Amino acid sequence: MKQYSDLEFLKLSKGQKFLYKLRRFFVSIPLGIAHFFMKLWALLVQGVQALGRELKEIGGTFAHGDWKTKTSFFVMGFGNLARGQILRGILFLLFEIIFIGYMVLSGARWLGMLPTLGTEGPGKVYDEIYDVYVTSYNDNSFQILLYGVLTLFFIVAFIYTWRVNVRQNRMAEKILASGKPLKSGRDDLHSLVDDQFHKTLLALPVTGILIFTVLPIFFMILVAFTNYDGAHNGYTNALFTWVGLDNFNTMLSWDVTGGAGTQSYAATFGEVLIWTLIWAFFATFTNYFLGMFVAMAINKKGIRFKKGWRTILVLTIAIPQFISLLYVSKMFAKNGIINTTLLDLGLITKALPFWEEATWARVTVILINIWIGIPYLMLITTGILMNIPADLYESAKIDGASGWQQYRKITLPYMLFVTGPYLLTSFTGNMNNFNVIYLLTGGAPTNPAASSAAGTVGYTDLLITWLFKITMGAETQYYLASVIGILVFVVVALISLIVYNLLPSIKNEEDFR
Amino acid sequence: MASVKLTDVKKVYDNKVTAVHDFNLDIRDKEFIVFVGPSGCGKSTTLRMIAGLEDISGGTVEIDGTVVNDLQPKDRDIAMVFQNYALYPHMTVYDNIAFSLRLKKVPEDEVYERVTHAAQILGITEYLTRKPRALSGGQRQRVAIGRAMVRNAKVFLMDEPLSNLDAKLRNQMRAEIILLRQKLDTTFIYVTHDQTEAMTLGDRIVIMRDGYIEQVGTPQQVFDTPVNLFVAGFIGSPQMNFLQAELEKAGNGYCVNILGVKIPLNDDQNEALIRKKAGSQKIILGVRPEHTTVLFSQTENAIPCKIDVNEMMGSELHLHLSSEHDDKIIVRLPTMDLTPEQRASLAYGNRMYITFPAKAMHLFDPETEKSLIHG
Amino acid sequence: MSESTMKRHMGLRTSRAISNTAIHILLIVISVVWLIPFVCIVLQSFRVEGTGPVGYIIPKQWGLDNYSRLFETDFPRWYLNTFIAALVTAVFQTIIVLCMSYTLSRFRFKMRRPLMRIMLILGMFPGMLSMIILYRVLKDLGMTQANAVPGLILVYIASSGMGYYVSKGFFDTIPMSLDEAARVDGATRAQVLYKIILPLSKPIVIYTILTAFMGPWGDYVFARYISFGTSAGKNVAVGLYDWLNKDQISKNYTMFCSGGVLVAVPVTVLFMCLQRYYVEGVTGGAVKG
Repeated sequence: MKQYSDLEFLKLSKGQKFLYKLRRFFVSIPLGIAHFFMKLWALLVQGVQALGRELKEIGGTFAHGDWKTKTSFFVMGFGNLARGQILRGILFLLFEIIFIGYMVLSGARWLGMLPTLGTEGPGKVYDEIYDVYVTSYNDNSFQILLYGVLTLFFIVAFIYTWRVNVRQNRMAEKILASGKPLKSGRDDLHSLVDDQFHKTLLALPVTGILIFTVLPIFFMILVAFTNYDGAHNGYTNALFTWVGLDNFNTMLSWDVTGGAGTQSYAATFGEVLIWTLIWAFFATFTNYFLGMFVAMAINKKGIRFKKGWRTILVLTIAIPQFISLLYVSKMFAKNGIINTTLLDLGLITKALPFWEEATWARVTVILINIWIGIPYLMLITTGILMNIPADLYESAKIDGASGWQQYRKITLPYMLFVTGPYLLTSFTGNMNNFNVIYLLTGGAPTNPAASSAAGTVGYTDLLITWLFKITMGAETQYYLASVIGILVFVVVALISLIVYNLLPSIKNEEDFR
Repeated sequence: MASVKLTDVKKVYDNKVTAVHDFNLDIRDKEFIVFVGPSGCGKSTTLRMIAGLEDISGGTVEIDGTVVNDLQPKDRDIAMVFQNYALYPHMTVYDNIAFSLRLKKVPEDEVYERVTHAAQILGITEYLTRKPRALSGGQRQRVAIGRAMVRNAKVFLMDEPLSNLDAKLRNQMRAEIILLRQKLDTTFIYVTHDQTEAMTLGDRIVIMRDGYIEQVGTPQQVFDTPVNLFVAGFIGSPQMNFLQAELEKAGNGYCVNILGVKIPLNDDQNEALIRKKAGSQKIILGVRPEHTTVLFSQTENAIPCKIDVNEMMGSELHLHLSSEHDDKIIVRLPTMDLTPEQRASLAYGNRMYITFPAKAMHLFDPETEKSLIHG
Repeated sequence: MSESTMKRHMGLRTSRAISNTAIHILLIVISVVWLIPFVCIVLQSFRVEGTGPVGYIIPKQWGLDNYSRLFETDFPRWYLNTFIAALVTAVFQTIIVLCMSYTLSRFRFKMRRPLMRIMLILGMFPGMLSMIILYRVLKDLGMTQANAVPGLILVYIASSGMGYYVSKGFFDTIPMSLDEAARVDGATRAQVLYKIILPLSKPIVIYTILTAFMGPWGDYVFARYISFGTSAGKNVAVGLYDWLNKDQISKNYTMFCSGGVLVAVPVTVLFMCLQRYYVEGVTGGAVKG
């Protein structure tokens, strides 16, 4: 593709400029993706190199260290204890004892069962005393997977701690050699409210994220490769086991037999995905522009009761969404207030199928979402609109710009620049906007072609509500839910990556602020 | 009250940019030292390393003989005044100044004593119950100084404390800092980008560029004997004039040839050049505007120039001239003794002649930019 | 002023008056549309005749029947569940969020950027996926069904560190030189936090508490999982949702309205009192992204 220099670009006509920019945009997508993978590769190479350096340093520490250091390689914290850092030494030693104890007592067993997820399922055992068959429960696949993953986490943590232990010995030797004293336990404790204060502050939040986000996500990714569902819950009815890529094959296959009804799973997934994207697009941009419009209307010179209008809109944010959404959903029902009133007034002769027909339902959720979203966007944009320097408008007026031109040339570019990152998060947030869809329609109307899909799919279902229905329905096919979850992640990540590389305000930011 | 010693101090940022290269400096007890240089020269970074606000990437910083590299700022016994004052907005002036004392658990009676005393010296007693928001820029600066004063710290650090003030207030505060220095009688390290501040305040000046020290010396030393082109150009206002010239041997000594005009050097200069075994070469000749005389007619050793701009400053004129080499020259011309005819002749395009004594000349090597005479 | 410029002046004025009138009318329409559903809920909650949905808004017979009937159901239990969860969540979530955002704003440590990246990536996974495993683990620990509240609280607060964006944006606007001045003045990092930064961060602390408190009132998904199959463990959202399903709507529709009013009123009042802080947080957060 021809690259224009700045001066050449300026000479192009308006249409040419637009085409040029459009071409650049589409060229930049594959480039961006290529760039991403190159970066990934570079990271990998760096990682391998860093690992090499680590190993070399560990070896060096062992070779050149004194006997205290060498012992520390096997008895963690020994060096600290021997050099008088009692607190650190005890903590290291304690960790090692706990780790070894855990591994011996149960960790090794979980790890050993991880490849099979259990071999002996529940069975009937004859009870001689009562002369009946009772169910005996044996291996528990869920526990095996969970504790297996936990054990893996624990091993990683141990290796890391061991590495810290080794490095500390090296540092201690160096410090002692230079004739300086080592930090005492008292110093260590004190530094936790001073130069190491960030560790204290982060301890709780990061632990929470590790246990309640990282671990579950890791677990659920693994579930996508098993046949864990309601009929194989791993304990009381049947074990579940590894099935490789089978679930992905099911979800992404165009095969109608064994599909989601009269159409394949891939087709169903595609339909839901496309609706999810359409929904996210409209939900984001209708709210954005209409919210901005309302904010500008209220801000306009000569409008009275500015505060009053804003308060009325803000009031609607305060009321928990489930109340308003559920109520509005009933208002639009077949025999709801809207239809009844319109019928009474004689404006229509037959109830409008707000929730009964696919297109009606889709348009209605988008419209109701505007009702939900405008107050919020009005708040956000009001603040930013007021921040636009007034002299920009003054100079535009002197240059002869009309009201619409001022909006096109000043307000909009400014807003888009400032709110670019917000629009991105808002878009991905809307893709996963469970509440509005589920509380309004629950996914209805049902899509007959996908009638036998897990969880049943409706025309207004987003991927996220589908996922929820799969885990809640009669047949809880957790493995399919995991597959959808992973695919949602892939889509969101891809969109974020592309937009991220195009947004000027993100590019120029120091980081993800 | 302490000496500060920096040995091979280095600052390398995470992005591998080196902000300060092997910085060596001995600051004596009770000395007022000024770090000066253009923005990005590493002066603030060095100060912040002394304060403990930046990690030291290499070398050592000693305060009073103790290496403080690993000490937190609070344990270094230093006081600091920030460029944007950094007053705590939610505290009154009194609480702002008392903050450090209270952290040290000084009894309230003594806190009161010391805060009111400092406020008296700085003339901010009547604002003690106000919040910083309600103060003017100059008053805020005084509070910031007061906050540093009550500490009785070993070292007093000031990071561009006057650059947020307007010109008039800046001059006033500069004088007050000199007074304060006499009252406090402690070690000062002062960072500024303004060479006037550096010259008026410092016992010694450290001139920095791109993370390197260019020259260290008293104001007189750096003004009279700049060791390189950068220092020569940075110190003094208006800036030193630079002309293309040739160094030539003349008898036992040397002379400078500017467009055919030959000016012999004086004994000291000759001696320095002979010691360096200098030969004939191209040089850059530096002459300060103050040392240049303007003549209205041609005489011996006068260099012809053309007038570009004539700036009226009141008691004097700043004439912007260009030589036949197209070197730009600024000279100062007192207005008092000018005749009306002379004044009228100072118009764009007219010819003028300039001359200067040998001792006013600074000779620099165009390649190394180092002085051929000094250093 | 000549006659023609006068005319133009008048023309400008009248056209502005017309457009302003139009906007006023539009704003009135918007206000009505936005408020009608809430007015309807309130009116319906006082309807005595019939308990199902009807095609008119103004009740024929007024009374407090729907409110008194609420107390014969599990509604007080749900209300208490939600209230306790909201209260505890508000406290802990605020602490966690502030710890996280303050650290990321003020400290420059090696893992800072990787940590932010990782949290960004984690945020792209649908959160409810984790509930499948969390539900089973919490169930084993006895923190589900009738005992849902502790489990719910744990789920709400555990990962709240990931929602640091808004408050970090706020902390970033407090000049670093304040921290530095305090540290030079002899404060430890911890003292800097509670003597300097926290007193200056009242708006964002209130914003964080407010959003943390309001979250549980509107949560449907997590409460649905944790309370699975029981009534006693539900929160208001799950409880009221179930009143509107096909089998119950004709019996409980008006009670849904009265329950909704009881939920909305305190939350709304609290919100309106602290509105200023909410607006500040939302605006700042959007600009920071």
